[in-house]
Formats: sequence, structure tokens, C-alpha cells
Amino acid sequence: MRRWLAFLVVLLLAATPARAERLISSLSNDTIEITSSFDGERMTFYGSIAPDAGSDQRYVQGPFQVVIAIVGPTQDRVAREKTRILGMWLNTDQVTFKGFPSYLHVLASARLRDITDVTTLTTNKILPEAYALSPNTSGWWQTMVFGRELIRLMSEERLFGVQENGVNFLSDTFYSAQLTLPSNAPPGPYIAQTYVFKNGEIIARKSEGFAVRKIGFERFLAQSATQYPLAYGFACVVLALATGWLGGVLFRR
Amino acid sequence: MTDHSLEWLAVIFERDLRILQIYLPIAELSVNLFFLVGIGGAVGFLSGLFGVGGGFLLTPLLIFSGVPTSVAVASVTGQVVAASTSGALSHYRRGGVDLHLAMYLVISGILGAFGGVAAFDLLRDAGQLDFVISIGFLVLLGSVGILMLQESVRALLKHRQGIVVRERLPNQHTWMHGLPMRVRFKKSRLYISVLPVLAIGLFIGFVGSLLGIGGGFIMVPALVYLLRVPGNMVIGTSLAQVVAMMAATTILHAIQSQSVDILLAFSLMVGGTAGAQFGAAAGKHLRGEQLRGLLALLVLAVAIRFGLGLVLTPDDPFSMTVIGGAR
Repeated sequence: MRRWLAFLVVLLLAATPARAERLISSLSNDTIEITSSFDGERMTFYGSIAPDAGSDQRYVQGPFQVVIAIVGPTQDRVAREKTRILGMWLNTDQVTFKGFPSYLHVLASARLRDITDVTTLTTNKILPEAYALSPNTSGWWQTMVFGRELIRLMSEERLFGVQENGVNFLSDTFYSAQLTLPSNAPPGPYIAQTYVFKNGEIIARKSEGFAVRKIGFERFLAQSATQYPLAYGFACVVLALATGWLGGVLFRR
Repeated sequence: MTDHSLEWLAVIFERDLRILQIYLPIAELSVNLFFLVGIGGAVGFLSGLFGVGGGFLLTPLLIFSGVPTSVAVASVTGQVVAASTSGALSHYRRGGVDLHLAMYLVISGILGAFGGVAAFDLLRDAGQLDFVISIGFLVLLGSVGILMLQESVRALLKHRQGIVVRERLPNQHTWMHGLPMRVRFKKSRLYISVLPVLAIGLFIGFVGSLLGIGGGFIMVPALVYLLRVPGNMVIGTSLAQVVAMMAATTILHAIQSQSVDILLAFSLMVGGTAGAQFGAAAGKHLRGEQLRGLLALLVLAVAIRFGLGLVLTPDDPFSMTVIGGAR
């Protein structure tokens, strides 16, 4: 009994200082607006690691590592594979990934394998591969093979990526990171999850949201196309007829 | 010295070109406006030169340059309407449109377009849209190209030997004309069964909405060789039919697949209508059978490009798409 009590006391003592740091962070843009000249946008994430509000600690002891995972709106995505049938290449196999992020970039202050172990990275959904592990009717082997290919394809489109030198420490506790959202960044809500690691353990985390959205004329067009498809279709036809007629009048006379 | 000035020019040019990047709201990607108007103009030039709609060139070009297949097909449908309008109007003013015949073709064409758009959606969800479109272009363009090439080579050879080619007599009847439900088409001086007319309309409506082409290059030979429509009515009637049918198809695509990108279509229209005028002017310097021979080669080249895409080992056997809500 006394041994148990002593064990509990040790546990409590060990647990309290482990949560003594907190993360103060922010980002440069709350919304990213897609206009007709949208060609990608650069944004900055920054923050500082400070002693926790309740603790009597004056300063925090590093070294710290910071990992930021920026996740875009989820979609249902299909990965397909072509095989040769009768001399022609056509899609034969496919695996659907439900709720797959349309955008995922991981910025880190060091190599991920030096920061922590693969289990922590996977369970916290930091590694892109973690998103391709979701249970699937196609069986685990197919899911794994197609998931890897899907992540590769997304990386080629610059929608997925891991930048292991993406976060810079400006002092022992202050960091900043820059990310350029590509022009094909899908509109919707984004979440930036920031993790602070110390000795391979997550000691603080914080999430911030920002939105990528179409504004002005682009938003109007995209909305009319989905909400008033009939009127949108008619508008397209009227525009086409007018352009064709005007072209004939302008050039033939 | 020259190096430096050129460098400056390149910087300015690049910066100014980047300003002309335009974001396509439906395709959800940003493309250079010069590029879009440019290919619209180039295809417009060829379509003016050869007197075809140009959809069969534009859709493949957009697909090869990275626009999603579904957006390319649906938006080119709108561009085809614009490209055919001025031609249809000027033929109509000259009395070269058989409205009665066009009406039958349009009604059956719209029915075919319903089927085409439905098939388009099913195929897109099943992941076979690109394959079917490639096969469709290969078979259609391949067969039409070979037929046209044969015919124009024969005409060129005869021209060289000094033999005058006699036009086919328009009033010769085939077995198709004798089918039941005969209708009199006064302007075309035809008294024929409507069944082959409806069948042609249905087929072109289906294929046109599926592949994003006006179908003029199938319609014209069909009117000439199957229905024996007189020469002065063929082009005008075909153009009028293309305008009406593709207008309906654009609306169907807008409702069903919601992948008509109005900005993409408009950029192509502007380039296309301007290019077509220059093409038509350039076409006056070439003889008819030379033009047809060149067009045949062009059609065959596109067919071969699609054929190679089907047969050659792809760079990447894997591909991905978003299903459901977004495109």
C-alpha cells in the first residue's frame, strides 16, 4: 500500500513539470482570397514557447522542435491504376479514400525521424501516410499500395509535401515558418496544427484555422454554376451566341 | 550588352505575362490568358480555313494541356456554339439553311445529347471517361480522316491528269430514302423518309455531347452521301444544327455535370471567332481538294495522337480524381 502511494506521488511529480510549457502562436492570414489573378499565396506561421500560465517557472528549457501540419478540406478521392488489356491501357483497379485531405503540407524544424518516432507521427496524423491507412473495402494491401501512389500523385501536384527545414528557430523559443499555397489550392477550411516536441514527446500543441475562398466574380460564377445551373447554362449559351454574332459583324464588314 | 537588355526584356515580359494568369473558377486552376486565347485563335484559324467547328481539335488540345477532361468537353461545347453562330447566320441570310430539315436533326440531336450527357456522367464516375473519349476520337477521327484523305488524293490525281470531276447527282436515291414516314423537304428538294434523318441526328447528338465536338465533320458527309442534300444547303443546315444542338448540350452539361467553365469557354470564344476570320481569308488561296487533303492529315494526326495514348505504356499507370461534390 505504501509502495503504491509512493508510486503515485512520483507519478504526480513527474507529470506536473511535463506540462509546464505552452505555445503562443499565430499566422499571417485568416483568409486567402482567390481572385481572377490568383497565382498562389505565401503565408507565415510564427510562435513562441513560453512557461505555462499556472507554473512558477521563469523560463523554458529546450531544445524544442516544432512541426506544423497544414491540412486542407477533405474530399473523397479515387486512385486508379491502368493495366494493359488487349494492347490498350485502361483503368482497371481503383481504391476510394473517403475524407482524404485535399491539401497537406508538413513543416518541421528538423528531420522528422530525428524529432520523434513513427508511432507518434502516425497517431497524430502528421505523416501523409497516416491518412491513407483508413479502413477500406478494398482490403489493407490494396489500400496500402494505392495510398502510397495517391500520396505520390498529390505530391507531384504540389498538394502534399513535407519540408523538413520549413520551420526556423529565430531564438531558442521563437520560431517562424513560411508556406506558399499553390494556385491549385482547393478552396475551403484549412487547419494548421502546431506541435512542440521535446525529447521526442509532444509537450504542447495548438491548432489554428484559416480559409481559402473564392471572392468577387469568381465566387459568383462558381456559386451560380452549382446553385442555378439552368440559368448558368443559359448565360453560357447567350454569351456564346453574342460572341459569335459580334465576331461575324466586326470582322466581316 | 545585348545579353543584359534581353534579360530585362525577359523579366518584364514574364512579370507582365504572370499578371495575365487567369483563375478558372470551375476547373479550379490558373491558366495563362494568352495561352487560352492563343489556342482558341489557332484552332479558330484552322476552323475558318477548313470550314469546320474546331471542337475536335480544341477538346484534345485542352485535355493534353492539363484541363480536366470533363471541364474541357463541357466548356468546348459552349465555344462550338460561338464558333458556328456567325457562319450559320451568314448562310441563313443567303438562304442556305433548310430549317425544316434542321429542325428534325435538332430534335433528335437533343434526344441524343440527353443520352450522351448521361453516359458522360456514368463514365466519369466509373473512371472510364478518358478511355472512352480516347477510343471515340480514335475511331471517329481515324475513319473520317482516312475517307477524306482517299477522296482528296483521288481528286488531286484526277485534277493533275486533267479530268473534270463530276459532282454526285443529288437526286439519286438510296434504299434509306424509301423507308416509311416520308416527309417533303422543300428547300432541299427532297422527299425522303425521316428515319435516317432522325438516326443521324441522334447519333451526332450522342457523340457530340460525349466528346465535346460539334460533329460538323460527320454531319456534312452524312448529309451529302446518305441524304443527298444539295451542295448549297449542306454547310448552312449543318451549321444551324450544330448551333442549336450544342446550345442545348451546353445547358445539359451545366445542369448535369456542372463542369462548364464560362471563363474558359469565353477565352476560347474570343480567340476562336477572331482566328476564324483570318483562317477564312487564308482559305481563299488554296484549292478545295488541297484544303480537304490538309484537313484529312490534321484529323488523322489527332487520331494517331489518341491512338498512341491508348497503346503506349503510360508514364504513370496511376491516376487520381475527386468524386462526388467537387470536380
